[in-house]
Amino acid sequence: MGPEQLLAPTTTVGAPAPYWLLVALKVLGFTLHISVMHLWFAGIVLALGWRAARSDFARTMGGRLMNQMPLIISLGVNLGIVPLLFLQVSYYKVFYPATILMAWPWLSIVALLMVAYYGVYYYVTGLRAGRLTRLHHGAGWVAALLFIAIGFLFSSGMSLMERVDVWPESWQKWSVAGASLGLAMHVEPGTVARWAMMLGLAVTTVAVWTVLDSALFAGRESADYRRWAAGIGAPLYLVGLIAYVIAGSLYVFGTWLGPLKQEMFSGPHLILTVLTAVGPGLALLLVLMARRGATPLLAILAGVAQLGALALHAISRQVVQNLKLADYMLASADPPNYQWDVLILFLLLFVGGIVLVVWMIGKAAAAYKSEITPSR
Amino acid sequence: MHYPWWYVPGLTAPMLIAVIAVIHMFVSHYAVGGGLFLAVETSHAYRTGNQAYLDYLRRHAWFFILITVVFGAITGVGIWWIIGLASPLATQMLIHIFVFGWAIEYVFFVIEIAAAFIFYYFWGRLDPKTHVAIGWIYAGAAWISLVLITGITAFMLHPGGWVENQNFWVGFLNPQFLPQTLARTGGALLLASLYVYLHASFKCRDPELRDKIGRRSARPALLGAVLVTVGGLGWLVFLPPSARAALETAAPLSILMAVVFALTVAVFVMLYLGPYRNPGWLSPGFGILLLACGFAVIAAGEFVREAVRKPYVSYNVVLSNQMLAADVGRVRERGYLESGVWTRAWVRANYQRELIRGDTVDEGFMPTLPHDAQVDLGRVLFMHHCNDCHAAEVGMSAVSHLQRGWTEDYVREVVRNPEKVHFFMPPWQGTEEEAELLTRYLMTITPDYPAGMHFGTEGGS
Repeated sequence: MGPEQLLAPTTTVGAPAPYWLLVALKVLGFTLHISVMHLWFAGIVLALGWRAARSDFARTMGGRLMNQMPLIISLGVNLGIVPLLFLQVSYYKVFYPATILMAWPWLSIVALLMVAYYGVYYYVTGLRAGRLTRLHHGAGWVAALLFIAIGFLFSSGMSLMERVDVWPESWQKWSVAGASLGLAMHVEPGTVARWAMMLGLAVTTVAVWTVLDSALFAGRESADYRRWAAGIGAPLYLVGLIAYVIAGSLYVFGTWLGPLKQEMFSGPHLILTVLTAVGPGLALLLVLMARRGATPLLAILAGVAQLGALALHAISRQVVQNLKLADYMLASADPPNYQWDVLILFLLLFVGGIVLVVWMIGKAAAAYKSEITPSR
Repeated sequence: MHYPWWYVPGLTAPMLIAVIAVIHMFVSHYAVGGGLFLAVETSHAYRTGNQAYLDYLRRHAWFFILITVVFGAITGVGIWWIIGLASPLATQMLIHIFVFGWAIEYVFFVIEIAAAFIFYYFWGRLDPKTHVAIGWIYAGAAWISLVLITGITAFMLHPGGWVENQNFWVGFLNPQFLPQTLARTGGALLLASLYVYLHASFKCRDPELRDKIGRRSARPALLGAVLVTVGGLGWLVFLPPSARAALETAAPLSILMAVVFALTVAVFVMLYLGPYRNPGWLSPGFGILLLACGFAVIAAGEFVREAVRKPYVSYNVVLSNQMLAADVGRVRERGYLESGVWTRAWVRANYQRELIRGDTVDEGFMPTLPHDAQVDLGRVLFMHHCNDCHAAEVGMSAVSHLQRGWTEDYVREVVRNPEKVHFFMPPWQGTEEEAELLTRYLMTITPDYPAGMHFGTEGGS
């Protein structure tokens, strides 16, 4: 039995939009998701670590990040649905089987997320009240570990999606009368490397947050704190980048098969590979420039550069995913049944939604600014 | 058929959808109605300069965020997860049809989140006009997301003309869209008031303010109950014939419909006599009772809404056992095991030598297999053809209990013509030989007729 026999037939309904657009929305959604998700994936552990430090500045920084965490999680969770939505449009043939084979671990993400999210809220409630008990600290650490575990479950699911070749064995091992027991959790060196790579990248995003927060949102804190906070970004970024490079190298050189390696290191893909590898360099440079105090412009530039690095990472992930699946399916081959009118409506509402959100944030920012600016 | 089937012992995988969806409904309706409550009441409190009420509303907004933004959002994600696992083909179809509807819904979700957090965290920091405006932005975005998701879920019950022309708008604006939107809007108003009562009864110490909250929230709640009733009647009128028949035929559904109606009336009466006429009645016990009744209405209503769709997940599009309705004829001809992606692979992996001739399953060899092998294949058929709705021996609608004491001939007849025995079951989608295999398996789990029952017809003089 060849694994290719386990792929579902092509949809009879057809693709609702051209493949390039669907995949662009998927990559865009993933980029936005990870830019926020990183702040809890690595951020909670770092924030709790800072809270435990002796330095007042470190404790302030940990408190600030945790204080923002409820909003960060809420936004990140919702943004995470977008890539999953478009993933299911174009990669349904591999997404559903992979997740069904590991149904229980995959479903457990929802329960773990619930516990972790409430754990964060519980911690933040204590933090805001100025009464952090052991229970609050415990809840915070449990949340931190659960989010890291959730990250691993995602790596496992996404890896299994690409490893169609291992489906037959996993399925046979974990099934009753051909029905999946949903216990085929997928762990291989590639899964661990991907997870570690994302964790390293997440640390770099938290580093950029320290610069952004100190320059844009920490107006109530002292100038000394703001300088210190901007300065912490550079070493933190370096630590994250080193982890990213090590895990990325293990992933690329340790788990990619010859043809994939050859593909990614030649022709136009080579440019993408190189850009992905050096992508964080610009953000690192800007974070380094901000180490003696970040101006709002410099901080915003660092944020944009980091977003660019994450986008490059997401694009590379997509290209590698397509190459790994090339033997089994061509996501762009679905028959067209484009819904231009609804698509245009979506794009208009998307732009309108951004305008509305920016207006609301502007109002909030103005209120905040009037609080921290002494009246004349 | 297209995807692996997830075996959840006892419960069956689709029941997990029901569990998560019902829990989500308890909160998602509050997320909509509660937003309207906060917008209207905050505006009123500012207008009347009632600082005590504003303070209460701020506390309620925190409760609202803790319940809706966390529990509501995560259970909403949970629905995404579980429908993909337990009903993958229907999910795939719905996503291909409505992907941009969902994408639009997520635009409104992001607006909701931004508005909710700014509304709460900038309380007292924004000028009243802006604060109220942001409250209304939340309320509007939440209601639009209700409308969007209702169009998609209503499609599953009655896709209208979509089956013929496959147009997004025809599918979205289906015959069930308006009734269900009305009912859900009413449910949101009603449930939000019940949450308010619960919260106020515990957290509002000032009796005068509590009376005010009770009285003011009774009006949207009463309106909500009326909308639920009007929407419910519309839902009934526009049901497809099979769903209406299911409602009339299946006793549990009739009972649950009566429960929904009776409890809605009971809540209406309690609201009118309690918070509206006698706001002083509002106590924690009364608040809990009202909310429990509201939850019971929602749970019963959702169960009925899901159950009447049988034998479809999406009416005339996808059958409850993950088969495209349009494929039934072709699959019957070709054979169920051969047509299913994962059943075909399973047969090749386990019975290559015995059943595969050329590149396909040769049904003619099935009767020659040893009994155990026939039972084994029958179990595979059961898992993929029946386990969506039926557990085997113990659990949800267990087949074993349903066929207690049946003869082999009777079991065979039911296997061949399930839709004739119960119109709300999908038709048999296999060949004659496969029907025989499934019969063999079912006979191994059929318990005896209960002993000790006498009807005076057992023979003798």
